[in-house]
Amino acid sequence: MLHNVRDNYIISVKDHVSQFEEKSFRKLASNDFKRWPSPREETWRFSRLGVLSRKEITPIKPNFKKQISSVSKFKGSKIISFVDGAFREDLSSKLPPGSSLNILGEEDSLMCFHKFKNSNLKNHPSTNVSFSCTPSIVKLTIEKDVKIRDIFEIIYEGGDNNLSVHPALYIELKDNSSITIIERFNHLSSLTMPLQLVELRKNASMNSLKIFNDNQQSYNLSANCTFLSEKSNYNSFSLIKGGLFTRSETHAYLKGENCNLNLNGVYLSSKNQHHDLTTAIYHDVPNCSSKQIVRGVLGGKATGVFQGKVRVAPDAQKTDGQQMSRAILLSENAIANAKPELEIYADDVICAHGATVGEIDDEQLFYLKSRGISEKNAKQILITAFLRDIINQSVEKSIQNFVFEEAELALSEIISKEI
Amino acid sequence: MSLLEIKNVKLKLDDKDILKGLSLSVSKGEVHAIMGPNGSGKSTLSYMLAGRDGYELESGEVFLEGQSLSDMEADERARSGLFLAFQYPVELPGVGGMSFLREAVNSRRKFLGEEELDHLAFVKEARKVASKMFVKDEMLKRAVNVGFSGGEKKRFEILQMAMLKPKVSILDETDSGLDVDALKIVSDGVNAQRNDDNAIVVITHYQRLLDYIVPDFVHILSDGSIIKSGGPELALEVEKNGYAGLINAA
Repeated sequence: MLHNVRDNYIISVKDHVSQFEEKSFRKLASNDFKRWPSPREETWRFSRLGVLSRKEITPIKPNFKKQISSVSKFKGSKIISFVDGAFREDLSSKLPPGSSLNILGEEDSLMCFHKFKNSNLKNHPSTNVSFSCTPSIVKLTIEKDVKIRDIFEIIYEGGDNNLSVHPALYIELKDNSSITIIERFNHLSSLTMPLQLVELRKNASMNSLKIFNDNQQSYNLSANCTFLSEKSNYNSFSLIKGGLFTRSETHAYLKGENCNLNLNGVYLSSKNQHHDLTTAIYHDVPNCSSKQIVRGVLGGKATGVFQGKVRVAPDAQKTDGQQMSRAILLSENAIANAKPELEIYADDVICAHGATVGEIDDEQLFYLKSRGISEKNAKQILITAFLRDIINQSVEKSIQNFVFEEAELALSEIISKEI
Repeated sequence: MSLLEIKNVKLKLDDKDILKGLSLSVSKGEVHAIMGPNGSGKSTLSYMLAGRDGYELESGEVFLEGQSLSDMEADERARSGLFLAFQYPVELPGVGGMSFLREAVNSRRKFLGEEELDHLAFVKEARKVASKMFVKDEMLKRAVNVGFSGGEKKRFEILQMAMLKPKVSILDETDSGLDVDALKIVSDGVNAQRNDDNAIVVITHYQRLLDYIVPDFVHILSDGSIIKSGGPELALEVEKNGYAGLINAA
């Protein structure tokens, strides 16, 4: 097949890495970036990137002096600040004992790169471009047996029109450690390509909340690769509300027995927004459980996508994998695509999935109306409850209200237009 | 004037005649029981009265205090004083019991031109009524009907009835799924609300509920119309001889 699209962005990425030594991990990465994924590729069928090849984008040159007052949204949190994709110690909080942030050298960066390249994120555009263009890979380490009580709030800001931003974060939780991390994406850029590698060692436990709220012209192609060891616990929730095009893709590898994974999320989409939650869960060992609940509310001409793959290896007996997605369309022009994929090679497993796309439940609406509540109020109550319900199920108590308030703003915007 | 007047109503579902000319007149202070076998149109009647979408009349009319219901949506009917206790109360995940009650009560108060209750006053009132219905505080904090037992769901229905103070209450198979103790609690709750200004229509399969909520009138519904009306003794006749005898005689 002949593709003769001249992609300025690829040239500018190559240009960016030309300053580095031949052996640098950046050059290795950029060699693999030939083009944006085509819609013929199964995982990009519903989320097309062709438009990016027609844009004049160049990788950002971070301004380390850019003054941004990174405002915490969660009271009392420890802030970790990334501006233009670069870690800014001067804008970040001092971290509590047992936790540390480091900028990785060439060797460790190469190790991170290979972890991505050995995963099924190997062809994700962010894998190649962001390893090429990131100012540095930053590592957050939580030491053995340390339970961090403070909530860490990672704020990704900066960017500008027609620039691409490349934050890269490696989180390692050592044995028996635990933490709750809130990440907020608030870029003003045309294209953000965050990379995140998470490794949970034995019995480690992490609550992760990601809020995608880049401005209305932005693209965000987040790639997350997570490895779970024995008895570890990863509880992740993504709230996608901003951006013109946001795709959060997470691949989780369950590598140790008795680990537990929740990959839940919500997208709230209006106008011409395109929101995509794509996940892949690899059960490689026995006795692990994974659960995914994804919900979307759409208005305007928005599009929502949920793609969830669960692969159970032949040895992964006694796997419990649950997946449920539901989208409510409030406008005739909104679209929701759901694609559950189960690949099960073991015979003694429990795996369930379900996907629905539709309107507000008739029975529930009638029940509320039969109590004197107007149709408009009843719909508002039900949609708000639809969100409240998944947030309460997914997120630990101390941040439930915070998440709900973050979601409610975007929701009320959709509701006010459609109901 | 009757509180509720059902005049020769006919209704089709999926092109099938379900209600075939049903009439009933209910006055203030009365309790009417409508009994009938499966498929006689009991639930259709209750949904039709409450104004569920798809249950529009083909002909005939229904009046609540002289006002026609045909152009009123379900929520308007409820605000005007009609209440349906559901046979299968609907679960509302994520909707807290207390805020649900408050929204409902304030919608009705607003309609009646009464001041809406503030949060504190409302909670106080709700707790008072709830304790009479043996509904624990904890239940009001949970999502409406989610994880409730059969008995809890029915108690919560009657609690809503007590809070909304409707003029006409339709109780659709409120006894289904209840054990004897729960039946007594629910019936006591209903009886406590009987007064000279309101009316209650009890729809049921079985006579046993009528031992607790004693009706003034009993009607037998069969094949979409009322075939026989009488006093409480009619219910006993059903209990003894079944519906078949009555239906054949009619």
